[in-house]
Amino acid sequence: MTIMEPNREPRKHGSAGDGMVGGRMSRFEGELKIKGAATYALEYPMENVAHAVLVQSTIAAGRVVSVDISKASAMPGVLLVLTPQDDLGLTMCGDWAGNPSSGEPYYPLPQTVQFNGQSIAAVIAESREQASEAARLVTVTYEETPSVTGLHDPNAGEGKVMPNLVVNWGDAEQALAHAEVTIEATYETPREYHVAMEPHGLMTTWEGDALTIWEPSQWSHGMARMYAEWFGIDYENVRIVSPYIGGGFGSKGQPLAYGAVAAAASKKLGRPVKLAVTRPQNFTSYGGRAATRQTIALGATKDGILQAIRHRGMSETSVYADYAEQTGAATPVLYKVENFSSEHRIVAVNTVTPGALRGPGKNPSAYGIECAMEELAYVLDMDPLALRLKNYADHDYQSGKPWSTRRLREALTEGAAAFGWDKRSHQPRSMRDGNQLVGYGIGCGTFPVIRAPSEAIIRILADGRVEVVSGSIDMGQGTYTILAQTAAEAMGVSIDQVVVQLGDSRLPGSSIAGGSMLAGSITGAVHKAALAARDELVGLALNAPNSPFAGSGANTLSVSGGEISTGSGDGPVVTIAEMMKALGREHLEIRRNTLSDDAQEAAEQRKAWTTMARVMGPTMGDYSMHSWCAHFAEVRVDEEFGTVRVSRMVSAFDCGRLYNPKLVESQWRGGIIMGIGQALLEEGIVDPRNGRTVNNNVGDYLVPTNADIPDLTVISVGVPDLNASALGGKGVGEVGIVGVAPAIANAVYHATGKRVRDLPITLEKLI
Amino acid sequence: MTRTIPLSLAINGKPHTLDVEPRVTLLDALREHLSLTGTKKGCDQGQCGACTCHVDGERVLSCLTLAAQVEGRQVTTIEGIAGEDGTLHAVQKAFIEQDAFQCGYCTPGQIMSAVACIREGHAGSDAEIREYMSGNLCRCGAYNSIVAAVREAAAAVSVNEKVEAA
Repeated sequence: MTIMEPNREPRKHGSAGDGMVGGRMSRFEGELKIKGAATYALEYPMENVAHAVLVQSTIAAGRVVSVDISKASAMPGVLLVLTPQDDLGLTMCGDWAGNPSSGEPYYPLPQTVQFNGQSIAAVIAESREQASEAARLVTVTYEETPSVTGLHDPNAGEGKVMPNLVVNWGDAEQALAHAEVTIEATYETPREYHVAMEPHGLMTTWEGDALTIWEPSQWSHGMARMYAEWFGIDYENVRIVSPYIGGGFGSKGQPLAYGAVAAAASKKLGRPVKLAVTRPQNFTSYGGRAATRQTIALGATKDGILQAIRHRGMSETSVYADYAEQTGAATPVLYKVENFSSEHRIVAVNTVTPGALRGPGKNPSAYGIECAMEELAYVLDMDPLALRLKNYADHDYQSGKPWSTRRLREALTEGAAAFGWDKRSHQPRSMRDGNQLVGYGIGCGTFPVIRAPSEAIIRILADGRVEVVSGSIDMGQGTYTILAQTAAEAMGVSIDQVVVQLGDSRLPGSSIAGGSMLAGSITGAVHKAALAARDELVGLALNAPNSPFAGSGANTLSVSGGEISTGSGDGPVVTIAEMMKALGREHLEIRRNTLSDDAQEAAEQRKAWTTMARVMGPTMGDYSMHSWCAHFAEVRVDEEFGTVRVSRMVSAFDCGRLYNPKLVESQWRGGIIMGIGQALLEEGIVDPRNGRTVNNNVGDYLVPTNADIPDLTVISVGVPDLNASALGGKGVGEVGIVGVAPAIANAVYHATGKRVRDLPITLEKLI
Repeated sequence: MTRTIPLSLAINGKPHTLDVEPRVTLLDALREHLSLTGTKKGCDQGQCGACTCHVDGERVLSCLTLAAQVEGRQVTTIEGIAGEDGTLHAVQKAFIEQDAFQCGYCTPGQIMSAVACIREGHAGSDAEIREYMSGNLCRCGAYNSIVAAVREAAAAVSVNEKVEAA
């Protein structure tokens, strides 16, 4: 289906190089990346740069009594040592939602230690080697206080209920009491980490009151605002530069303590400072996914009709901020159920505040409900696929609203057909290949459509090229590519004529690259601006006295392949460059945004680009809007050793219209691979004595390697959803991981007859 | 200042001289002292493969190699594998075609490993490619496409070699 037809001539649609939205164009910035020529944050040439190295706490809770910096300061090349004794003169910044700052002072190197691995000092020296060596000589004296190191700590308690995460309809207790069949089980997930290949870090420099920061950023405008508020300077005086980001997965959407330290050090020294957070320090400089625990009870009739779901979940947070990894996020939307009760609690422990990691909330939530559904299927002696189809939700039972689009049934049936689900024999341990037990499992996933406004500039240049300008970012999702495609199609030029400029907070505002909201948001703005630019160009071509079309009598013109014509076959054919020359224009610039009319004032626009104030959830309209997927996993478990291999997977997705299937498939596979890691490998291990993250490196915190991953088949079953976004797409990046871990856990049960209810599924849990 | 030593390094066929502390790694020498930032730092402890370079044609982890160790040896980085005229290496072309990367940060290391993997004769099957490319982590999860790219490039390299031999 073609949504937009700006060109009179039909184009070959869907071929690799045609530049149309929906085409399988190769990555726009690909050549820079395969040459090593894409410049990441710490790679900008910088004269006279000093290097900062962090010193982190080695206790879980307490107070810094004193910091002895005498030895460190005496080391060669050391320029400055910052400790909790140094007042950096910072103020707390306002939050994501747009709530203003409390005005309290902000101490990025605090006196009070709230978790092990908290930054408490920094050494700045002429070279990184000098700073690293000196950092080891900083001696900290602590006064320790009791700590809670995780959900399993005997003193962790039950935490507190989050009132906004309590959902009830019908009468779940009553329905469970009367259900013919019930199951109840508890599922746990450990701390998990982003492990983006590019470690965090930044370079900063000041010119007077103007601060420039080269830092990987999923949200250049929001981060610039927070830096400005920390330092009490105007927003216009902060510039974040971030054209290439070495992976984020949720970790690079806000400035962090080390950023404040680097910028403050740079200010104190009056010279640029580079701060590279080491790989081990990355494990505590920002939060990964919180550990979770949830208990789910399902009630059903004997023939498998769900009667009730009761969900009670909890996640850990830090002792200084409330962050909920919402274990009830997917529970209410996957199945038809008349009686529902869900509650989520948070438990404060001595950790860095957890954060958003791919599929936040939905991911552990789907793990719980999708394992529980298969447990129910086995109690009912029913095919888990049939059970899911039998309880298919015809609308959103939580909001009462109809789905905008929901092709989860197609995902299940087409996925099952591609996988060969019908070859499954139902009984656990009934399929084997030599000494390998073979099992099949299903896991469904979902992620809400989150909508947000953006703006964009389209600039037609004298040489006929079209520039797309946006402050949005590309961390590998394909923003450069899909914006080039969007602009090429709307403008009627070839993709080679398009230039895309991204990743700078001084450029037009955009939503965060998070919650799978950026693509739908920014393509809307670019499409709107490009159509307006084409109309402007056509208007000038029709009306300007020097135009070849002046007096032609035409009332509209066609722009196609970079050429302007009457479209009827007679009359002149003029390239955009020739037209710009005839018009005597150096460039033609059009700026458009997708904000509502009540938000066009400068202050409101600022707020929209730098906070979440204008972000809309999935049911803030007439429909309930979500992406959907169904994963089918085959595992092979060595009977003697308990080693699990995922031998193949088929995943079917409804993400609406795909702007570039080639890139979407890559992103889906990426999510699935992270899900395989979550199911079988990934677990932050915390020393219960001192709260230290023991496996704070990629040799011990295991992420999947190439050899862990089989061929992954991905299928699109979506249709365009124009309620979800201007061009019909729904979110792609987050949903890929959601449902993978339960598919694998369910397959492991099918293979072995052992139900492992705490991730990751490691061999000692199976033998 | 700390003591420095003069080094002359042959990188991508060109001589470079620099004055660095003896403890400076090849990775930091490239990135911080020679503005050759194509080689990436992912962990700085030999676990991720992002810093993979070639020394005398064999892959090494430049974060675990001191700059001083490679004097008198030929160092090749991602900036040095395309032809003199800018023609992309078969592996580079295949990486674009197969979409074998997303964020691009592990990519130079993957490509350097892939070039060596093919040269070592370890690209005979998908299983072999997976095994010999497993020292290079990719968190975006481009592994299927990396295998496809190495397979495709290995075939192209083999054709080229036959053409050259004839």
